[in-house]
Amino acid sequence: MGTVRLENIEKIYPNGFQAVEKSNLEIHEGEFLVLLGPSGCGKTTIMRMIVGLEEVTKGKVFIGSEEVTETPVQKRNVGMVFQNYAVWPHMTVYENIAFPLKLKGFSKKKIKDQINKVSEMTNITDYLDRYPTQLSGGQRQRVAVARAVAYQPKVFLMDEPLSALDAKLRESMRTELKQIQRQLKATTVFVTHDQAEAMSLADRIVVMDKGKIIQIGSPEEVYHDCNNLFIADFIGTPPTNFIDVKIIKKNNDITVKHSDFEFNLKSADYKTLERYIDKDVILGIRPEDMEISKTESGSLKLNLLLTEPQGNYKIVVCVLAERKIKIVVPSDVKIPKSKTIPINFKLDRIMLFDKETEERIR
Amino acid sequence: MNIYKASKKATFAIVVFGIIFIIALPLFFVVTMSFMSKHEVMSFPLNMFPRFSYTLKVEKPEKKKPIFYLKSQVGDKYTSLIESSDTSKIHSFFLNELSLNVPKEKIRKLIDKASTGKAQTFNEWKNPFFNFQMFFLVTNGAFAALWMSIKTVIFTCLISLIIGSLAGYAFARYFFKGKDIAKVSVLFVRMFPGVSIAIPMALILVNMGMFDTAFGLSLVYSVGNIALTIWITCSIFLGIPVEFEEAAQVFGAGKFKTFLKVTLPLTLPGLAASSMYCFLGAWNEVITALLLTQSHPTFAVVVYTTIFGSQSNFGFAAAGAILQAIPALIFTFIIKKYINQMWGEAAV
Repeated sequence: MGTVRLENIEKIYPNGFQAVEKSNLEIHEGEFLVLLGPSGCGKTTIMRMIVGLEEVTKGKVFIGSEEVTETPVQKRNVGMVFQNYAVWPHMTVYENIAFPLKLKGFSKKKIKDQINKVSEMTNITDYLDRYPTQLSGGQRQRVAVARAVAYQPKVFLMDEPLSALDAKLRESMRTELKQIQRQLKATTVFVTHDQAEAMSLADRIVVMDKGKIIQIGSPEEVYHDCNNLFIADFIGTPPTNFIDVKIIKKNNDITVKHSDFEFNLKSADYKTLERYIDKDVILGIRPEDMEISKTESGSLKLNLLLTEPQGNYKIVVCVLAERKIKIVVPSDVKIPKSKTIPINFKLDRIMLFDKETEERIR
Repeated sequence: MNIYKASKKATFAIVVFGIIFIIALPLFFVVTMSFMSKHEVMSFPLNMFPRFSYTLKVEKPEKKKPIFYLKSQVGDKYTSLIESSDTSKIHSFFLNELSLNVPKEKIRKLIDKASTGKAQTFNEWKNPFFNFQMFFLVTNGAFAALWMSIKTVIFTCLISLIIGSLAGYAFARYFFKGKDIAKVSVLFVRMFPGVSIAIPMALILVNMGMFDTAFGLSLVYSVGNIALTIWITCSIFLGIPVEFEEAAQVFGAGKFKTFLKVTLPLTLPGLAASSMYCFLGAWNEVITALLLTQSHPTFAVVVYTTIFGSQSNFGFAAAGAILQAIPALIFTFIIKKYINQMWGEAAV
């Protein structure tokens, strides 16, 4: 297994479109790294540059300690799982897995042993001699995974491998993929636009937008400590609630002020917040970081619109200054019958964003 | 079922049968005629199926030459055929008119027996392949022409498939300036009828020293077939997701191995279809071949000249037509297997 390092890589297409802006990225040994972002953000381009299917305009790609920027695809020793499986339809499942091994120069016996091993791991033992056209989408993707695993590459690259599957299958495959990755301790790069998938799989998430890497961190970091407004909005269902507020200085405290509420901020942040006094900022708060106050006195009162039960939790939809605010509460919490409900913020969880740059204030 | 539905069904059936008759009836007559003797072909009304044996009768009236009669297929009617005592004349008459090979001695014996005053009836088996045998006998260099045709077809297929499929791949996979115009313009060459460019083609081939050769002829045929092959293979390549090739490359196959082991097998149906078009085009073509060959005609040319030279015997012409069609049929049935081998739809 290996590591991957990208040094100042850039990708500009011949038509002048800059798919990836100058980026640095290091993928550690045995890590499950997820590239997350909306479609067209350059995540697939980055992955294809690691594989070698896309030329690097500027910068360097390292796999292990070796520079592979100019190495042709077939010599990079990486394994890839494609979105549309790309299981060769004119070969049986067995031949599909065996073909790369044959090219590697394995003996017939070694190939057979290897296939037996990986087909058990990926649960495809029963249809080794079938053709891919006789398999369902999930089975085909298993074959694609088995093919990559059997190849024993330095790095696994997966390009939205689950997005062609239906919702239920996607979740079970997700678990299986992670299990296989843990078992092999394989360095894996996984590309997805599905934030839930990213959260559940990743050791680290790389969030990308418009060709730029905007945050790298563990799922928890990316979720609770967003670098900018985009991430706060993109990650999480329901997404972060945004409220336009003003920062003012009151006595010796720095206070967030809204026409309906105000509260003091933690004194530790005062230094960074000095600059924003008397300026408009955006307050971001996760739906689960608000709670319905047991007493009548909360930090603010919201007009209740409706509740959406989800089984294990429910979403309370309220209105504040004509904007919908969503609050996630456990399903056993009783919602007051009144028109307005008192709400408390978890003060250590609030995020403040610059209104112009949309960057996090910190 | 109401009347409207019934009449709709009836109309449909009539149209379908009409189409079948237009296509199938001539084919049927050509096949049956190729097995008929000259006498059968000329008789009116024409028989539906060829006869396989004849019943003949010979009579020898006093002081007259022996007369041979042919018994009709149905009933007990006899029609006179020939009145002669010359056995070799009778023998060749039987051979040419009835496709019967009756030994001269047998004819002599029959005449002798008839001379006693008793009419002799006898049964003879026809040689159903007489027309085919005669076709090779009367046609000069039929075998040489067959070999010439085979060579031409092989060259045409090779040239068209190699150049056409490579160009088709380029059109399907790469972007370059003027791609759409180029793709349409390859079809321009098919807009001219072969005859109209045959004379300049002949001049060019003479200058190249390839006039009257299989290779020269196949070059001319390839011009049109390459265009067709480009369009067929291009659409096949477009239907093969590029990921199949990318996957092969990721898993250690070089460009050539990828082409050989992944792209080519997946394109096989398209290549088979193209090769069939090339085969049929080159095999059946007459006019260009007539103008571009001299002492080494193709089989199609030979059949054509035989048909023209044998106006009196349609059986020959029919036999030639069948001989011309058989290789094309065989090739089509072989290639059909590959055309059906579509990996397509469910593959993605």
